[in-house]
Amino acid sequence: MPQDERKEGIGGMANPSRYGIERVAYLLMRLSGLGLLAYFIAHIYETSNILRGQVGWNEFLELTQTTGGHIFLAIVIAMCVFHTVNGVRVMLGHGGVGVGKPARPDYPYDPASQNYRHKIGIYSAIILAAIATMYGLAVMFGE
Amino acid sequence: MKIHYGTALAAVALVAVHILMRLTQGFADSLEYENVLANYKFIPYAIMLELILILLAVHGFNGLRVILIELKQGPTYEKAVSYGCLAGMVGLIAYGSRTIIMTNMGMV
Repeated sequence: MPQDERKEGIGGMANPSRYGIERVAYLLMRLSGLGLLAYFIAHIYETSNILRGQVGWNEFLELTQTTGGHIFLAIVIAMCVFHTVNGVRVMLGHGGVGVGKPARPDYPYDPASQNYRHKIGIYSAIILAAIATMYGLAVMFGE
Repeated sequence: MKIHYGTALAAVALVAVHILMRLTQGFADSLEYENVLANYKFIPYAIMLELILILLAVHGFNGLRVILIELKQGPTYEKAVSYGCLAGMVGLIAYGSRTIIMTNMGMV
């Protein structure tokens, strides 16, 4: 196959179906990171409205304290929890925790680092993100 | 990666405190103007907000730099991405610090 045909660009990098849950985690980590950075910038702008006094603050609060605003915040909670838990997993893996002992590579050359411990870590991150989102929704809509 | 991991771990601890402050008072009540103003005027909390701002700005823009360099490489491109992210980080810290300092000093 010519090299040009093998270049799939971002589409190839983002394809989660080809390389298992590890690639899904890789993709979600980057998407949640970008989403959280965008939210952080928006949050800094949002809180700067306090300098406009009580009227300015309340005006901006009316925009965010809506059903849509709460749903948006719930998505932020999900991104935040997944990014944190998966980030801790990545840090531990980088430090050699849970990647297994070095061994002779034998066919079919399964990477020792992509083992059940790290898979459990990824699924835990997804489940904890879902639980935190539901808790966040209960707090925001419960009032 | 040491900066990325260090800022991440420190930010997790401080953001947890920041979120718990919202929950101890009740979410909607904690966002009332007087409560938010009181938070900013409480110096230890203002210092914590400043630390969160710096840690997350460094972590966020360094993460963006890593993602952009992962997508495309080249000396000019990488330099532009690095300096661009540094400028974004400094700009965000300056803008956020302005809010914290002005509110803390009662310039509202």
